[in-house]
Amino acid sequence: MRARKFKKLLIANRGEIALRIIRTARMTGLKTVAIYSEADARSTHVAAADDARLVGPAEASKSYLNIAAIIAAAKDSGADAIHPGYGFLSERAEFVRAVDAAGLIFVGPRAEVMAQLGDKISARKIATQASVPVVPGIETADLRAAREFGASAGYPILVKAAAGGGGRGMRVVESAANLGDALETAAHEAESAFGDGRLFIEKYLARPRHVEIQVLGDEHGTVAALGERDCSIQRRHQKLVEESPAPNFTQTTRDAMIDAATRMAQAAGYTNAGTVEFLLDGSAFYFLEVNARLQVEHPITEIRFGCDLVAEQLKIAMGERLGAISDPRGCALECRINAEDPGRGFSPATGAVIQLRTPGGPGVRFDTHLAQGVEVGAYYDGLLGKLICSGATREEVRRRMISALDELAIVGVTNTAGFLREVIASDAFARAELSTRFLEEHFPTGPHHDSERDTAALIAAALVAKDRLGSRDPQESDGARDSIEHSPWTEMPKFELWRTR
Amino acid sequence: MKLRYGTGEHEVELLGFDADAIHVRIDGRELAATLDPLADGGAILAFDSRRFRILGARRKGAITVAVGSSNYDFVSVEPGTRSGRRGLAAPEITAPMPGKVLRVMVKEGDAVTAGQTLVVLEAMKMETSLAAESAATVKRVLVSEGEMVDHGAVLVELSPAAPAGPSDSQGEREAR
Repeated sequence: MRARKFKKLLIANRGEIALRIIRTARMTGLKTVAIYSEADARSTHVAAADDARLVGPAEASKSYLNIAAIIAAAKDSGADAIHPGYGFLSERAEFVRAVDAAGLIFVGPRAEVMAQLGDKISARKIATQASVPVVPGIETADLRAAREFGASAGYPILVKAAAGGGGRGMRVVESAANLGDALETAAHEAESAFGDGRLFIEKYLARPRHVEIQVLGDEHGTVAALGERDCSIQRRHQKLVEESPAPNFTQTTRDAMIDAATRMAQAAGYTNAGTVEFLLDGSAFYFLEVNARLQVEHPITEIRFGCDLVAEQLKIAMGERLGAISDPRGCALECRINAEDPGRGFSPATGAVIQLRTPGGPGVRFDTHLAQGVEVGAYYDGLLGKLICSGATREEVRRRMISALDELAIVGVTNTAGFLREVIASDAFARAELSTRFLEEHFPTGPHHDSERDTAALIAAALVAKDRLGSRDPQESDGARDSIEHSPWTEMPKFELWRTR
Repeated sequence: MKLRYGTGEHEVELLGFDADAIHVRIDGRELAATLDPLADGGAILAFDSRRFRILGARRKGAITVAVGSSNYDFVSVEPGTRSGRRGLAAPEITAPMPGKVLRVMVKEGDAVTAGQTLVVLEAMKMETSLAAESAATVKRVLVSEGEMVDHGAVLVELSPAAPAGPSDSQGEREAR
């Protein structure tokens, strides 16, 4: 089906990415429709759109994953196109089919292409046919076959869901003894996450880097590659820090990887924005998967190439031809700020934003849906925002990021910003000693202990307890408290000598 | 006052303010720091040649602060309310993070061994197994599969393990 012009775009997502897509859509003159769950009625993305539709209760399976409700919202609001964002329905071929069947335009690849690439086994097949190198592996959930593979490929091996990505259902198995348990748990996670319990087992590379290539394909058969992103700093297979260009990456390897990614996209008949992910081991690289959607970390590519990838996506969906891609310039670095407690094994954190201090200045971009009072619950992914810094050299960008992280404070929702500052400021990161084991090797117990900072925190807490510091949780007060008149600083004379108890 | 952060407890006393400094005693050690309030409700706190930008607020019975971009959540521990329950390393199994109860592996009255999985939680796209820290009897199961729970929610209550034999477990039931 040849794409056509559309006028009103429904964004089937929430959080920072919904806001990011709405911004571009409005800039290009489109009307926008937000969708929201009952938990998100007062969210930033709802306010930013021209129109908004409730699609269900808080639970994602009944709202943001509710295909029928989302199609109905599009019809009801007069939207003629749907952008899926990332996560949720963005890589569900059945959603694309439903959008097509409703006579709407899907901003992304065609359903059959998505289905082929979303399945690890058929994606590998396409890669192999396109002479793109792959990691040795087999599809099986059978213990005996898995044992045989482990014995021949050598441990450790990686057990993962055949469907989907993002680290769900993924297990590293160190020896044959743990294989049975790993297969069982991974199959269960795969079943609950993707409704598909099939497993894929492959050789686990000990210290690889994760490097990926951004591609754009138009409806006229043209595929362009927009350089690489190094996303090696990960925790539980989830990216935390991304940068472009990849440091210590020779032009020969870069060219070879870009070539491989382009072949892959062409072989798959890929259209719209996508990412071809690779594991880099020395100068050898292996195809990992294709993410058939916009990536979380797309802004670092936008900055280097001076483009707006969402705008490109919309143009492609309207049937326009890809324009010229400019040469990349400078460096860009992104930190994902997640609602997690780094001091407690990165367990998810919840709460309402009581106070927000955001960074700024040249070369600093903060993509976030946060605002004072915004609640972060347990229902959805805990990405609070993406802090993106750019500049001429990696070192300039690294210092800018440290400074920007120092400016950032999110009171009320425990998050990873402080920890990421330590990561970016570390010697190992400055020397670009990147691998997917970076955090295990350099931060095995999470944040480093800083006793003076802990002391400062204790003093701050004591001051809050005595009403001499800070504001109140908007969830607790009625909001009528006047911050100037009732400031703790004006309530008490500053230099009063007083004692507790 | 006593403040708990993670597993650590600290005694913090604000001794007073004077023209230049705030005086505090932390775990018996006295410290003078300068404190300069800021328009945003926060302050600059400086001591030992370090300078910190602090913000803070009360939050659901807890105190949350940010030192630079690092967050800390404190619970104020009232003297005399520390758990005095004996016999079990952890008499309650609580949710270490907000999430969804995926599986409940035990029912009331079950005898469990140390390390036995009681509840499986799903949070942050990962499954987390919550196990008994010592042998025990399941006193109460407070959640069901599919339920969303908040951080700290009690999922399972345990009572000390009954020595082997049906008469003893009977005795435990009567003791309730």
